[in-house]
Amino acid sequence: MRKTFATASGARPIYPDLDKTESLEVLAGLVPDGAVVAVGGGLSSREPMALLRSLLRRGVKGLTVVGSAHGIDIDLLCGGGAVSRSGESYVGFEQDFGMAPNFRRACEAGEVAVEDSCCYTLVQQLRAAIFGLPFMPIRSVRGTDFESLHPEFESISCPYTGDRLLLVPALVPDVALIHVQYADRQGNLRVEGPPVADVLFAKASRVVLATAERMVSTEELLALGGVTIPYFYVTAVAEVPMGAHPTACYPFYAYDRFHTARYYEAAKAGPDAFRSEYLQPFVYDCPTHPDYLQQIGGEALRARLASWTKDTGHWMSLYREEVPA
Amino acid sequence: MSADCTLGELMIASIANTIEDGILAFHGFGSPLVQLALHVAKRTHAQRLILVAGATYGINPAPPFLTPTSNDWVMDRGAACSLDIEELFDLAAAGRMGRMFLSGLQIDQWGNCNVTRMGRDALTLKLPGGGGGCNLSCDAEHVTLWTTAHRAPPDEKGRRRFRLVEECDFITSLGHRARGRPRRELGHHGGGPQWLVTDLGIFDFDDKGRARLRTVHPDVTVEEVRASTQFELTVVDTVETTRPPDPEVVSLIRHLDPMRVYQHEIRPDDRSRRFALA
Repeated sequence: MRKTFATASGARPIYPDLDKTESLEVLAGLVPDGAVVAVGGGLSSREPMALLRSLLRRGVKGLTVVGSAHGIDIDLLCGGGAVSRSGESYVGFEQDFGMAPNFRRACEAGEVAVEDSCCYTLVQQLRAAIFGLPFMPIRSVRGTDFESLHPEFESISCPYTGDRLLLVPALVPDVALIHVQYADRQGNLRVEGPPVADVLFAKASRVVLATAERMVSTEELLALGGVTIPYFYVTAVAEVPMGAHPTACYPFYAYDRFHTARYYEAAKAGPDAFRSEYLQPFVYDCPTHPDYLQQIGGEALRARLASWTKDTGHWMSLYREEVPA
Repeated sequence: MSADCTLGELMIASIANTIEDGILAFHGFGSPLVQLALHVAKRTHAQRLILVAGATYGINPAPPFLTPTSNDWVMDRGAACSLDIEELFDLAAAGRMGRMFLSGLQIDQWGNCNVTRMGRDALTLKLPGGGGGCNLSCDAEHVTLWTTAHRAPPDEKGRRRFRLVEECDFITSLGHRARGRPRRELGHHGGGPQWLVTDLGIFDFDDKGRARLRTVHPDVTVEEVRASTQFELTVVDTVETTRPPDPEVVSLIRHLDPMRVYQHEIRPDDRSRRFALA
């Protein structure tokens, strides 16, 4: 047997309970040290940030993170010393701020083992898990250095066509962490806008922990347009307004570029500065999520980030360089 | 209308010129230059282009302005519909993506790119990673490469840190030959890199798959390109000057990106370069 991140062995459970609402802290307690974690969302949108801060407060260690294109979520976990292995496809702040400082440092110091993936490889590995198969084939990747980085990938000749293909093993994350706009008490989830890999994560993982901006009735969920992720995939759900801050969770709020700039400056200045300038005030000194909401600016901040709906000028002003008074 | 354009605008127009009408093309994330190039192409010579936005996977969006991050609702406004992640990559795997755009902290003479790690043995610098670039470099029919950091000025000890290198420390995305093995032996659907647009000029790839200088930007000489390139520079018989964009294209770029987000991608020293329009 070759070493893989997490191979399907035994059926994953389904979750039939009718009420799965829990507190944010209970959700964080369901992520064991050393778990393979799929963090949902992507780049500067719909990252389960409140849940990640709660994980850091409980002192989680030794996580393996897997995913597609990520940024502040994985960088924060690395900065809090929670990660020991990365199978992400991208961790950075795009052209906006650049490389992810905590992620970089942790990888370069050897604290985080670098086992990068790429988006379609990840998709096919999750699909294998969803389909209950041990692997899926892909045509791509062969010839690049990902082959030597992942010796568990197996090159074969297709028995039907003779084509050279690469087999990638099923990936079953221990836990998926997802933030959505709407959920009901059973855990039916509705994602508005790009789902990124969240639906695949939810179907492939053993445990799915969801936070939602707003808890609504099943009838309201249907009226909003229906269910994106059916409840029986979901282990537990908590209502956490502004739970993706400082990433965006439209239509409720846009990306908080000013807070992200502050994060980035602290992270770039080194581990000590990051601890004192960011982790302390925004993670450890905020024992609950409402404390965090006060710390970042309370109702005035929420209203500013929600002002994108007014007109294009307001929306554009959220990305300007100057920090508003 | 303006009488001149910036380096970024010259590069956007040059990248747009590599985009054919009637194909499906995807701009990935993290590059305002490429995002703008696709929107320019769609609004000029390639109106039948199927434009898939990076990160949101929106189809043919009309963003009211450009944001500095890609996965933002701004960037998929006006999209007729959106793909999910698996559908976008399935289209490429099935040979239906006409063009993709890739870059790297290292780009070698065969068009391989490295965005994964510096240091061949010991890790000296962890780069962000390539997203889906590795898969798409194999699957997309054609690839346009670009970089805004080709120029490699010597430091005080005369050493240059090259972007265009002899060989990548890590091959994140595949060019025409990797670790001595030609691409055609691998049986991928995609044909590999076709163009490389830099801050100094534009390359195509010769029949052996090596990058070959085709044009230099108006304020650049072939010798400057040679000095900034670690691999042995090959050039076409007559290296011409990169054609500046039409005034209408420059106006369009300024309309699409009112905050000049694309300048984030241009080195500070290069932001003031100006080129007279045709």
